[in-house]
Amino acid sequence: MNKIGMIDEWYPVGLFSQLDPNGRDTWLMGEPIRVAIDGEGNPLVTGGNGRVLAVCVRYGHVWASLGKPDHDLFPIPEADQPGRRLVEVGVVRVRCSPLRAVENFLDIAHFPFVHTDILGSEPHTEVQNYKVEIREEEDEVWATQVKFYQPQAAKSASGGITTEYMYRVPAPTCSVLYKTCPPRPSEWDVITLFVQPLFEDVCDVWPWMALYDDDTPMTDLIHFQQTIFLQDRSILENQIPTLLPLDPGMEIPTRADLTSVAYRRWLKRHNYTYGAQLVAQ
Amino acid sequence: MQSDTAGSWVPVALSSDLPALAVMPARIASETVALWRSASGRATASADRCPHRGMRLSHGFVRGEALSCIYHGWSYAQGGQCLKIPAHPGLTPPETIRVVTYAVAEQDGVVWAAAGAPAGEPPRLNGFAPLRSVTVDAAIGFIEAAAGVGMNADGFLSPADAPSGLCLLLSDQGAGQTLVHVLIGQDAGPSARIAASRAVEALRRRAEALSTEGAGA
Repeated sequence: MNKIGMIDEWYPVGLFSQLDPNGRDTWLMGEPIRVAIDGEGNPLVTGGNGRVLAVCVRYGHVWASLGKPDHDLFPIPEADQPGRRLVEVGVVRVRCSPLRAVENFLDIAHFPFVHTDILGSEPHTEVQNYKVEIREEEDEVWATQVKFYQPQAAKSASGGITTEYMYRVPAPTCSVLYKTCPPRPSEWDVITLFVQPLFEDVCDVWPWMALYDDDTPMTDLIHFQQTIFLQDRSILENQIPTLLPLDPGMEIPTRADLTSVAYRRWLKRHNYTYGAQLVAQ
Repeated sequence: MQSDTAGSWVPVALSSDLPALAVMPARIASETVALWRSASGRATASADRCPHRGMRLSHGFVRGEALSCIYHGWSYAQGGQCLKIPAHPGLTPPETIRVVTYAVAEQDGVVWAAAGAPAGEPPRLNGFAPLRSVTVDAAIGFIEAAAGVGMNADGFLSPADAPSGLCLLLSDQGAGQTLVHVLIGQDAGPSARIAASRAVEALRRRAEALSTEGAGA
């Protein structure tokens, strides 16, 4: 599919803290781009023909658009709460559709098999019913009341607990996860997945976190998240077809997959099809 | 060349390379399959794609008499039907959820599989026994050229200059690769087995060199 429907969206293209005056060459939806910092400390992203792309800086990352975004980047109000540790996890390149990377992030049923003894373990495999909706006003996919038993839900967790989650898809290649926060039961930890679509079948995944955790060393927080994503990568690079099928028939969803069903429906409705496969193809 | 292997037996692996509870990818003509052996010892070839989320089943795991997908643990019987969806332990999976399975036969230490309904039994090894398998980065034609002799209709080839008692069983893997099963006389001793292995290694290098030259020409 083409990128027309997604061209006016914002995409992460690098960490603001790691900008380099010489620039770093990368791609955005098949177009070569250069991500640099100008003399005044502002990010400068140029496209293949040297044109300057729209940029903004938020959640530790530089965001760029190939088109003319008519909206600000989605809000994450919790990101501005005092007392949170902001964790720049870095980047993991995955040879998969950017949409498949997001869909995997929305999935909990794989925890016992892919993140064994960390995010899940047999025989605690059951996915209880949860709620999924497309919130029309915000135009976002939301899954709430998601519960799962986890042997080690976070670096700060000791022993198994039933963790509660909320998932949000505010942009076609981004997801925000709200998760039970072991040290502060009244708050949610925020874990995001920002995906840079390099091509329809290659993406750079930039996870980012805003946590209440004053004790765990930063290195351990980063390693924990990288371990999880490398486990996911072994799945994402071995799915057939590589592109995410948006029409029914190719794959078989169950009740546990309702978030994925809503995400696919929302993508199709908006013509967010870069990285997707349609029956007509 | 094996241009159309639909309905004919393909030597997908040596029995000794597929122990109980193991799963591996294999090719039958243009299809990739998940080849696995159950706890009781039965070999099965299933389509290499879980119908749930498209994950390769050859990355999965075997428990008892079933193959499970590594992604969400959906498990499949030797007949192909889905037995269990761990996210919904109380649910009996509908009959419609299944993976295609292929005919498998095992004899003389070789696992054979076929797409479609093969006529008759796979060929016998007639006094030969499997030694090892080698994947060669060259199409069958280059192996024939390197060996100085053609492959017969059953896929067997006896290299002209190799030690006597050496026979190769070839299987086209597509994309310019060939799976070579090395066979040797049943009574061959250790030194003959080592010599055969070295001869095949030399043949592999010659075939790959021819393939590289061919690609560069």
